[in-house]
Amino acid sequence: MICSLKAPGARLALRVRNFLTKPAWLLATGLFLMSSYPASAHIVPPEELHPVAESYRRASFILNLNPVLWPQVWSDLKHIEEALNGVNSPGSKKFPEELAIAKRVAQPVASGDKEPDLVAARKNGSRLVFSLATRGVASLIISHLDAIKADSDRAEVKKRLSQARRISQAFAGTLPYLDPKAWKKMQIHWLEASSHMGAAGVMGIGAKPMNIEKIRESISFIRGYIHVNFSEFQAGIEHRLLPRPKGSETYTETAHVPWRLPPGSNINKQLPRPRQILGMAERGVNEAETFLIAFGDMAFDSAEIFGEPARTLGMSCNTCHNKGVTNPELFIPGLSREKGGMDVSNSFFAGHANNGLHDPLDTPDLRGIRFTAPYGRNGRFASLREFVRNVIVNEFNGPEPDPMILDGMIAYMNEFEFLPNPKLKKSGRLNPEKVSRAALRGEKIFHRKFPQMMGGMSCASCHIPNANFVDHKRHDIGSTGASRLFHVGGMDTPTLLSSKFTSPYFHDGSLPTLRAVNEWFNRQFKLGLERKDIDDLTAYLEAVGDGVQGIENTVHTLESELEEFKFFLSTYERLKQRKKKELITVLLKTVVREVQAHKWDVQDKENMPVLNKMEEKLNEALRAHLAGDAKMTDDKIAAYHALYQKNQDKLK
Amino acid sequence: MSRVMCFIRVLSPKAPGLFLPVAALLVFSTFLFTPVPVRADDRELRVAFIPLENPEKLINNVKPAMNFLEKEMGRKVRYFITLNYSAAVEAMISKKADVSFMSPLPYVLANKYSGVEAVLGEIYDGKPYYYSRIFVRKDSGIKEISDLKGRTIAYVDPISSSGFMYPQDIFVRAGLVNGGVEKPEGKFFRRVYFAGGDQQAVNSVVGGFVNAAGVSQYALNLLRPDQRDQVVAIAQSARIPSHNVVVRKGLEPEIRRKFIAAMLKMNRPENRNMIRSLYGTDGYVRVNHNRYKPVVDMARKYGFLKE
Repeated sequence: MICSLKAPGARLALRVRNFLTKPAWLLATGLFLMSSYPASAHIVPPEELHPVAESYRRASFILNLNPVLWPQVWSDLKHIEEALNGVNSPGSKKFPEELAIAKRVAQPVASGDKEPDLVAARKNGSRLVFSLATRGVASLIISHLDAIKADSDRAEVKKRLSQARRISQAFAGTLPYLDPKAWKKMQIHWLEASSHMGAAGVMGIGAKPMNIEKIRESISFIRGYIHVNFSEFQAGIEHRLLPRPKGSETYTETAHVPWRLPPGSNINKQLPRPRQILGMAERGVNEAETFLIAFGDMAFDSAEIFGEPARTLGMSCNTCHNKGVTNPELFIPGLSREKGGMDVSNSFFAGHANNGLHDPLDTPDLRGIRFTAPYGRNGRFASLREFVRNVIVNEFNGPEPDPMILDGMIAYMNEFEFLPNPKLKKSGRLNPEKVSRAALRGEKIFHRKFPQMMGGMSCASCHIPNANFVDHKRHDIGSTGASRLFHVGGMDTPTLLSSKFTSPYFHDGSLPTLRAVNEWFNRQFKLGLERKDIDDLTAYLEAVGDGVQGIENTVHTLESELEEFKFFLSTYERLKQRKKKELITVLLKTVVREVQAHKWDVQDKENMPVLNKMEEKLNEALRAHLAGDAKMTDDKIAAYHALYQKNQDKLK
Repeated sequence: MSRVMCFIRVLSPKAPGLFLPVAALLVFSTFLFTPVPVRADDRELRVAFIPLENPEKLINNVKPAMNFLEKEMGRKVRYFITLNYSAAVEAMISKKADVSFMSPLPYVLANKYSGVEAVLGEIYDGKPYYYSRIFVRKDSGIKEISDLKGRTIAYVDPISSSGFMYPQDIFVRAGLVNGGVEKPEGKFFRRVYFAGGDQQAVNSVVGGFVNAAGVSQYALNLLRPDQRDQVVAIAQSARIPSHNVVVRKGLEPEIRRKFIAAMLKMNRPENRNMIRSLYGTDGYVRVNHNRYKPVVDMARKYGFLKE
């Protein structure tokens, strides 16, 4: 990602910042920019679902994981139970009892010396709970539909239809694949029912009568389908739990149902974006002239180097390490514990490397990563190359990467710089002219040796100021608790540089602020620090972790993104010379996807046709490449560049 | 993500799936804030909101804007959610509400029969108007509206401006369909559906359940980006004046003046978040009833207004 001060987007941001010299305007414009998020850009808003549909879809996702995060499942089942309590249906009476049984199966209690079979408990429990949730949803849909009587008034019919239809969205991620014919038929019946609602009009004007008989006729198919397939639903022993409509003649047993992330997930990039500084850009080097860095930049943004399901979901390194920093809002129910992190050894993204533990990690900041070996929160990889390969292959199920991908990504990541911090001298000591007195007092505490802390260590023993605040070692400070994964060897010492912008803290993101970190150490090692000492130490950490302009000043990113795609495409010629056909495929697929994702950022919608044409040229180039037509590929890429050049000034 | 959601345009044409008059009835009556019977107190401004699918969310979202109004006008502001447009108009007739928010067709009907008057128009992308469009799937082979003969279309609601009257007018002007709401199919469409919301209508196109949807141009915003690429607009309606803010007949001039001034003050950049909470508008501009003359004419043409 190119967004150093020399990149176009950053230059634009600086122009905006320089223009806004008056503090009041700065505040007002800041608020305006914050409020001008493109609601329809590569920032994808969450689907508005009925709470029952949302709970069902989330629970279904989590029940397919290993391990299952049962507390979230129980919470979602509770929502379904509460909704059932609000309707008078036979299903609502049995639900609590069946849920209690399912809970006992899923989370058995050890009796005597006999340990419960946890694998069987998870599998059987998941199946029972999934079946129950599916029956619950069916019961709710049927209850609402049955409440539409011949003498119901319009308000009642509207309410019931709306509820039933919205709850039926619980199956919208699965039934269109498992039984597309029936799903389409049901949607047309919903449309028919809605159309027969007539209209209330305004003050009676424009009113159209409701045709209740036609409505009841329309919903009878839906009711019948739900009843036959799901009222007595029992999940089979299939590998994946899905609401398979086995009573339907049109059910496709071999259907591929794509994975979706559950409601509550957020894999959007953050806006405003964190400021990324690339060393080469600071040195005045154009990324288009540095093949390896440009190629690594592309790979870092590419979902194509990963396997399924990350690839289809459009996830790349940049999803979690947005612009090489951290994505503080990233969250996937069942895989994350806190925002900004997730379990990367899970059964969803790479089942083959699942460790069977729910052990989410806080996403580390990659600024200055060349200085912070070893890698992985527990420092399990000595080299960055090993670490990156593991992420691709074992965390996100990608194919073994071409050495050029690894070389490129390392070259790119080695350019990640810490934020400039005038509060620090080169020695890593505070610049007294730039910091508060509290911070200077805190610096002394930071260097004070505490006999009770791991044999007389100071904070600075591990976070060595003149070594980028790391010691390249692992320490077990007791932060991992009873974790079975991490009880040996402890955790890698994280740098404190730029840390003000990377909350939360600790390997699992369990501490929200730098103050909380200080308080934790004070408690853990009985340091005896007073409140004022904690204040000072926090002031010190905030000074060390500070940086100039940690966040970009604009949310309009299309200009800099398009410039970046130009850098990506600059690698095409060399890839062609090296006969790297597969990597050209990765390149073109990545840029196509990126243009698609970002084109909705355009501020002037009149320019959308140009972006559509640019996307079309890239798609044509990709098709030509896959067909082995090098000449056509060249021509289409050239056409893309020509279009971009011609319209560059307008595409913002 | 919740921050992102704050900027999703709701209720206005920019997210029109949630603004329909009849969609109001979709809401659980138990969740509705029925008009609060308040005593006639001229020191109090009473604002009637038309509900979203989640009225509790709406009432929370508008709180800062209402507090701002209260401060700017120097008088107490009471606000509540009505069942639908009719309830809002009735509340204004009986002076239980002073102001409300309306879309063009319901407004001209309400104006005709209750004298409510549009004083502010919403702004979208810098413009006080918008369009309806006919969307089809890109891969459908449908290139122009005449290709829709014998096929299906989903509108939003029979009494929607951008979700029926204006897009249907596209077909009428092209000589493909004769009439309005009574026989919307004419001899042209195989079936006309009223989907109940822009989102339902445009999603029906994406899902391939209907051949076309006649909806607000901003219905596209209700789709995921990858879905937006699956549809294309093949026709556009006449210009539709934006949704508006109306005041009741006989509202005291001083209150009316202060209300308009306070609302316009919300256009300032620092108040953007507040103004967005009012049905997702980008801002307001002064309007009068003349701006809605084209809507009146069209409402007459299609029999919503008799003269």
